Amino acid sequence: MRKSIVKTVVSAAVSLSLFSGMAYANETLKIGFVGVTSGPAAAWGISNVRSMQTRAEWLNELGGVKIGDTTYDIEVVTFDDQKDPKRAIAGMEKMAQEGIHYVVGPNVDDGAAAVRPVAEKNGIIYFPYAFPKSLYTPPASNAILGMIANYQSGPAIYKYLKENKGVKSIAFIAANESDPLSQRDGGIEAAKALGLDVVSSNITYQVDTTDFTPVITPVIKQNPDLLVLSGVAPANAPQLIRSARELGYQGLISTETAQDAQVLKEGAGDLANGFISVGGASTPEIASDTMREFVERYTKMFGEYNDESNTKVYALEYIVETLKANPAAIGDVEEFKKTVDTFQTANPYMKGDAVLKYVGTTSFTQKRQVMVPLVVNVYENGKFETLFVAEVD
Amino acid sequence: MEQILVNGAYLGAQYALIALGLTLIFALMNVMNFAHGQMYVLGGFVTYTIYGQLGMPYALALFVTAITLAVVGAVVEKFLFRPVIKRSQRDESTMLLAAGLGFFLDAVILLVFGEKQRGVPKLINGVFNWDFRVIMPYDRILIFALAVACIIGFMLFMQYSKTGRALRALAQDRDAAQLMGVDVDRYGMTGFALGAMLAGIVGGLLVTITGVNLGMGGPTSTKAFMMVMIGGAGVIPGAIFGGLILGFMESILLSTLASYGDITYLVIFVSLMIFLAIRPNGLMGKPWG
Amino acid sequence: MGLIIMQNKKILFTALFLIFVLVIIPSLIVMTSRWDLYYTLSSVALLAIASAGVWLTFYIGRINIGQGAFALVGGYVTAILITKAGFSFWLALPFSGLFAAFISVLIGLPILRLRGVYFAMITLVLTEVGRLSALALPITNGAKGISNIPLPGELSFAGITIIPDFASFENPRMAFYYLASVLMILCFATLYRLSNSRLGHLCRSMQQNEELTSSIGVNIAAIRIIIFALSSFMGGIGGSIFAVMSQSIYPSSFQVADSINFMLNCFLGGLGYVFGPMLGTVVLYFGWDLLFQTGKYQMLIYSSLLIISMLVLPNGLLSIRLSGRKKS
Repeated sequence: MRKSIVKTVVSAAVSLSLFSGMAYANETLKIGFVGVTSGPAAAWGISNVRSMQTRAEWLNELGGVKIGDTTYDIEVVTFDDQKDPKRAIAGMEKMAQEGIHYVVGPNVDDGAAAVRPVAEKNGIIYFPYAFPKSLYTPPASNAILGMIANYQSGPAIYKYLKENKGVKSIAFIAANESDPLSQRDGGIEAAKALGLDVVSSNITYQVDTTDFTPVITPVIKQNPDLLVLSGVAPANAPQLIRSARELGYQGLISTETAQDAQVLKEGAGDLANGFISVGGASTPEIASDTMREFVERYTKMFGEYNDESNTKVYALEYIVETLKANPAAIGDVEEFKKTVDTFQTANPYMKGDAVLKYVGTTSFTQKRQVMVPLVVNVYENGKFETLFVAEVD
Repeated sequence: MEQILVNGAYLGAQYALIALGLTLIFALMNVMNFAHGQMYVLGGFVTYTIYGQLGMPYALALFVTAITLAVVGAVVEKFLFRPVIKRSQRDESTMLLAAGLGFFLDAVILLVFGEKQRGVPKLINGVFNWDFRVIMPYDRILIFALAVACIIGFMLFMQYSKTGRALRALAQDRDAAQLMGVDVDRYGMTGFALGAMLAGIVGGLLVTITGVNLGMGGPTSTKAFMMVMIGGAGVIPGAIFGGLILGFMESILLSTLASYGDITYLVIFVSLMIFLAIRPNGLMGKPWG
Repeated sequence: MGLIIMQNKKILFTALFLIFVLVIIPSLIVMTSRWDLYYTLSSVALLAIASAGVWLTFYIGRINIGQGAFALVGGYVTAILITKAGFSFWLALPFSGLFAAFISVLIGLPILRLRGVYFAMITLVLTEVGRLSALALPITNGAKGISNIPLPGELSFAGITIIPDFASFENPRMAFYYLASVLMILCFATLYRLSNSRLGHLCRSMQQNEELTSSIGVNIAAIRIIIFALSSFMGGIGGSIFAVMSQSIYPSSFQVADSINFMLNCFLGGLGYVFGPMLGTVVLYFGWDLLFQTGKYQMLIYSSLLIISMLVLPNGLLSIRLSGRKKS
């Protein structure tokens, strides 16, 4: 691991000194982004784009990436779909027009499903942050899940809590929108499979709710051991936690989406202590120096880091590394799909000998998911602490 | 049951305060201010910056928020709405302007305050618990009291101050008010500033409970419109009733329909449509808005 | 004499427009190989059809922020008919429009009595009701939406192919472009015809004063319903084609933001002009797209331009061309 970093740094330094005079001579490798960067859901796409831009600038600063015999500078081409599936399709068409074959996004289920025909027709591999299994299961073949799905993390979390914290009953609450509702349904299924008693599952709320107390009161009355906030938006999580705790709820609270520690701290303070969520790879226990430098660079470029980016740093890394492994894939996604089955390289963002490889066979019968560590965090006093780390296969 | 009523009252008070500002602007200028929710969000962020970030006293933060939003409201009226209203053939043209202003404020908020959810330290810790029949955190009770105080203060202002009387005259009949020597332009601006200020104050109050984020603006406007419709557009007591009714409806339906899940808001919206179909001008609205 | 010149001018203008949309644009796309424009332009045409419906309700003095709901209804009806009942798209399309119109009559009977902001608000709520219903009803497949809708098949009459199977085209997007733009032209031709008919005249007088219109013996309730149904029909048609073009439909396909955009398209183009909604749609849609170069300032610049255009031309973009003439 260390060695590979040293190697990267050295080779980068060498290439920098060799090519510094002709830095502009690098060819450009365009990587697309189609997602939401304005309006109410802006937070999702913004953390995504910023991760890509930070990493791209960093790689370019190191002299670009060498794929085959050519060195490329990475250019991130972004498209704001305003969380509208109609616009997402237009965005994907635009990417095809630009000759782009690798796109990160969209951020939501319907956008990701809507762009599928365009991606398949134009030979584009895309990395959605959306969970519908049909996107990744044959006959679909162009989408690669950019994170861990709730139906993978959910069971792992419930199982852990069942075995270690004696959780027996479980309740779900979700926003009345596509993604959270699907995630809730997946969660219920997983909980039932584990033999947990689902005491409440049909409470929903509008995302614009300003007071969650009336919403959450009926759930709290059931007094479940574990309350799952399915697909909760970072904006709603602190308010839900706060309302639940203020109503006297004593049990555990968890979610399967990534959260931001600062947001929890400001929104719920100490009441958020013990809140379980899924994180990326920057918990101090597992973050490598590269991860730390990434966070530093991100903070320098954009003023404030977003913990959601811990997961979102990976998609670009996978694209670049896979292209390095098979340069023919640069203009031909069929080559990329071939490489997916065997691809493996060191994970620069994690300590130890973690690897980057494609997984997903269990869930999708084919490798259509990036392997990111399934890090389950627990929030304590303004920071996330690692509860356990698992892998998806 | 007690809990439901308490929740309803708390929700109703904050809703009423949001609706007041909107209905005031509507009464004076016939403008449907699509940017009202964004003004509320802006208020929340100003309070967040002064109280949460700079660590100044909350009262000061709330005061600065009120002033800031009043200035924003005045500027918007003078330089945007007034010229457009004067020159456009139809009143409704201001809707595009208001929507554009909403987008603009959204963009400014995103650039200045970022995309994340923000919150401030709690004002008071602790929870009031009456035998588990009524549970209410103390800070909510405080915010509820402040909201009620603001509503009462606003009503008194409108009833007894010279400005308030002029505003009411203006709302009732613009031409007559002008003939009576009311400076229409000046009071139009005052009214707009006051409406924006109310939105900002709610933002400043609620940021202590729910926090604030970029996305709250649009949906808040929609909700405020609903309350105004229930009570009757442009009628000040109507807005208060509308806010209370919506607050209680949410609180009651959320608990009684809980077992049916996804349909609470569907029921609320559909019943609102039926209500308006029966009473086209809301509870106490003027016939033509 | 003057009338004939005007008539000729109109024919010339129409011919030029037809050539531009059906010949020049496709050739430009072929020449520049900007294939992505087919989808974007089809979107614009479909959104313009829906906006035309909104404009029509403006015409009787109602601000309609509910078109998103009717577009959603149209999209879902098409999706359900094609995927679950095995209908051909060519049958599902008119049926979707009619179904949307039927719903609008049911809803319109009570709510068309409302005016001003009340009507605007109730239609805004209607859009939200549409989305929530799509999430809650069993037939719509809930949050997952309906995907994998097949492309339109062949349309033939008595064994003669009128429109070939879309899948047989090398680029089905091009077929959609022609479909959408032809329908858009038909739609605006209808609008134009209507605005110059007796009905249009009555609508304009209703816009000014309903009571007065009613007092001269006009059945204003019937006109309101007809216009609203026609408006929703257009919404339904737009939504229907959108569903097959994107081969999927979701509760979020048409929501409050879309309804508001339809309304803004009309305002921006100009409420006083039949072609206002078309121009407004083109400018708003491409305005956003062109600004995408500006990165994080996109929204800021976009909204500033909106505000400025309103300050400079409060009666819509088209008022600049006609500012010298008297308002019709």
